[in-house]
Amino acid sequence: MINSSTILIKQGRQRRFRKWLVINILLAALAVALCMAMLLLGNTIYPISEVFQVLMGERIPGAYFAVNTIRLPRMMAGLFAGLAFGMGGHIFQTMLRNPLANPDVLGITTGSSAAALFSILIFQTSNTVVSLASVIAGLVTVLLIYLLSSGSHFSIGRLILIGIGIQAALSAVISYLLMVGSQQDLPAALRWLSGSLNGAKMETLLPLICTVVIFAPLLIVLGKQLDILELGEESALSLGLSTNKIRLILILSAVLMIAFATATTGPIAFVAFLSGPIAKRLVGTGFSNVLPAGLIGINLVLGADLIGQFAFEVRYPVGIITGLVGAPYLLYLLIRMNRKGYL
Amino acid sequence: MTLDDLMAGLFLSSSDSYAAAVVSERVPRTVFSLLCGGALGVSGALMQAVTRNPLADPSILGVNTGASLFVVIGIAFFNISTAGQYIWLSIVGAIITAIIVYGIGSMGRTGNTPLKLVLAGAATSAILSSLISAIMLPRSFVMDQFRFWQVGSVGAANWDFIAIFLPFLVSGILLAFIMAPSLNALLLGDEIATGQGVRTGLLTLVSAFTGVILCGAVTALAGPIGFIGLLATHLMRLIFGPDLRLIIPMSAISGASILTIADVLGRLIGSPGEVEAGIITAFIGAPVLILLATKLKVRSL
Amino acid sequence: MKSTHKLQTEQIVAGYDSKKILHGIDVVIPNNQINVIIGPNACGKSTLLKTMARLIKPITGDVILDGKSIHKIPPKKLARVLGVLPQSPIAPEGISVADLVGRGRFPHQSLLSGWSEKDYQAVEEAMDMMGITELANRQLDELSGGQRQRVWIAMALAQQTDILFLDEPTTFLDITYQVEILDLLTDLNRKYGTTIVMVLHDINLAARYADYIFALRKGELIAEGRPSEIITDELIKEIFELDCTVIEDPVSKSPMIVPRGRFHVFS
Repeated sequence: MINSSTILIKQGRQRRFRKWLVINILLAALAVALCMAMLLLGNTIYPISEVFQVLMGERIPGAYFAVNTIRLPRMMAGLFAGLAFGMGGHIFQTMLRNPLANPDVLGITTGSSAAALFSILIFQTSNTVVSLASVIAGLVTVLLIYLLSSGSHFSIGRLILIGIGIQAALSAVISYLLMVGSQQDLPAALRWLSGSLNGAKMETLLPLICTVVIFAPLLIVLGKQLDILELGEESALSLGLSTNKIRLILILSAVLMIAFATATTGPIAFVAFLSGPIAKRLVGTGFSNVLPAGLIGINLVLGADLIGQFAFEVRYPVGIITGLVGAPYLLYLLIRMNRKGYL
Repeated sequence: MTLDDLMAGLFLSSSDSYAAAVVSERVPRTVFSLLCGGALGVSGALMQAVTRNPLADPSILGVNTGASLFVVIGIAFFNISTAGQYIWLSIVGAIITAIIVYGIGSMGRTGNTPLKLVLAGAATSAILSSLISAIMLPRSFVMDQFRFWQVGSVGAANWDFIAIFLPFLVSGILLAFIMAPSLNALLLGDEIATGQGVRTGLLTLVSAFTGVILCGAVTALAGPIGFIGLLATHLMRLIFGPDLRLIIPMSAISGASILTIADVLGRLIGSPGEVEAGIITAFIGAPVLILLATKLKVRSL
Repeated sequence: MKSTHKLQTEQIVAGYDSKKILHGIDVVIPNNQINVIIGPNACGKSTLLKTMARLIKPITGDVILDGKSIHKIPPKKLARVLGVLPQSPIAPEGISVADLVGRGRFPHQSLLSGWSEKDYQAVEEAMDMMGITELANRQLDELSGGQRQRVWIAMALAQQTDILFLDEPTTFLDITYQVEILDLLTDLNRKYGTTIVMVLHDINLAARYADYIFALRKGELIAEGRPSEIITDELIKEIFELDCTVIEDPVSKSPMIVPRGRFHVFS
């Protein structure tokens, strides 16, 4: 039975799906282009053919070292951290139904960062331990925010305020650690306060890559569940979603990805905050935005890192650039939400 | 260090023992931290009164980050190098930031609420500190003082600083004392205050200005020290209740004590180096912000 | 199409934290009927509805569907029998009407599948029934309150459940839309035999539209039955502490209460 109303509904739905698909393809293409640029550009610009030969394992003098030990790890760090921050941020924002409730504003990335720095300085430990500490700290931060805000009068506003407080305290901890660790130099400080891809090494990337490879597909699959959760606890329950179970899985996966990324690159400022809203702006709301948010995260990190490396006389770490872009967007979002009376 | 050494350092200008030299260095530092703490305490009390918002504080609103940025710009681009010049730049930065943050935080139907004000402050701070980092990164001559402009400290104190700072402090605190009774009326709302014969517009403007200038002056010489306003006023509010005629002077005293204690604590913890007072105050102050956030009624968020 | 499900509660005690709101309620929901729960504010009518709809877990007691505790039935399976429209549902910003209605199909879909033909059909039927088909590709944010409520009901309809709970579906609506919504729900009940359980604030609308009424006061069930049997001066006095006269509604012949205040009373 096909009548005009079926066609109306179907066409609309298909149009929105095509838009979703096209934007994802474009974002993926842009990400590939940026990855290539990360490999090609640098002090010496190697031709594409040479870069490919190096990637295939040929030891071309000069190019081999630059591409394989410097540019490739840097690109991979940006790629995986960007995906992790973008998806993780989107999960939090959607679950809490507020773009301001993201790991950056709530201090989750700050917690992971403090823990990573702590284990590096105090124990001088291996990557695994650093990542593990980072994950635990991220989870503890989430738990702390949850416990402090889940009294009898829950409100998302209160949760955000508490998150801001926690973030302030943790930033003080980072400053303290930088001081006692006599890592007072600016690059180290910037890495742990706002994120940087400098000095990424292939062997330190492994934990992050494994986490993303496992959890990113899981989160994409759970995108539909996430969208049901966004309808609110009562609607989600009535649609047959096991809300507590799904929420737990989502939070754990998101925190794992974000924490591993933070342990590797530092908390790259505002990527977790920006990716979700940009995805929503581009794609709309009909289909899951987990994948586009992740792709936007990649593009933001790689794009900002390229700008930071080559657009100015000085090389800026990626976090400074994303911070300069992200904070005004946060302000814009606040203005918009205030005007509409959402806060 | 013994008490004898302390006395020698304080009163015998010709004394040349090592300990005495240390004391004569520590005296201005202590005086300076007392003055800065007092100024920040009063500044916080004024901002809370004017915005009728318990979470207002120079650092939470991003005002001292704005002050910091202006000084950094002055140093980097205009070869500004004296404390006297810092202060004016810093005050201008503080005023501009305060206007922007308050403007954004009070947009919309509900006016300024704690959440909106804090968020506007946090977002503005984030932009301003990214800018500070971006300006300083390529300039090694400012980099030496990097931490100073990111995290405040009273470590650079000397008698010249105090001399420059004193006029701002004295006039600011005096103004605050004079305005306290009218500010009490303002707490009841603009309508009631007007009914009681208070010129609300003028009062709001002058007290906001005073609060901003006090914190701007501190930031120029000590960098952005956070949360003193919040800590000092809420501590005093617990003891003395909401009367601003008491709260304002008491916040000056408690602010002075808190900053000085934080400075001493920082030197003890960080020994042989030191942990900046700004780190300590943020670490103590942030939990207070969290505590206040859990106590606020949903309606008044 | 008649549903054959049997939903009943067994001595449910429910509430929030340590505060008990319901003190042991036993009800059997009549099938294929429009059931309305009435009672004064804070009497526990919403809590009863939410407990029956498994949004709240009872402290003691249980809700039984076809002889089985609803908390032991797999959630998705249960969601194909029991649908709920909460009092203030939350919509994602910028979602289109058709997509929102389509989310009601969640319990019928597997983890990865998109929309099947059946999903499209269900969405279309639900939207037709609520008269919102032309709004399919509009955004929910642009609609009026009455339209939005019809979209939400359509989402619950797309779930195609035999039993549908609605928590005050007419609040915040003008009287015109209140009547419209209740008419639509009656259509649904007549056409598909859907068992409807809802909380209503307005006793007169409840008495007119309900086949069966549950009257609550302070967490206890005071009376239940057909409106014409139970809505009396005495009952209203007992549950609302209000003096009133019950007359026959000139339009529907159902009972209608006319409150008696301290003034303007001539008979």
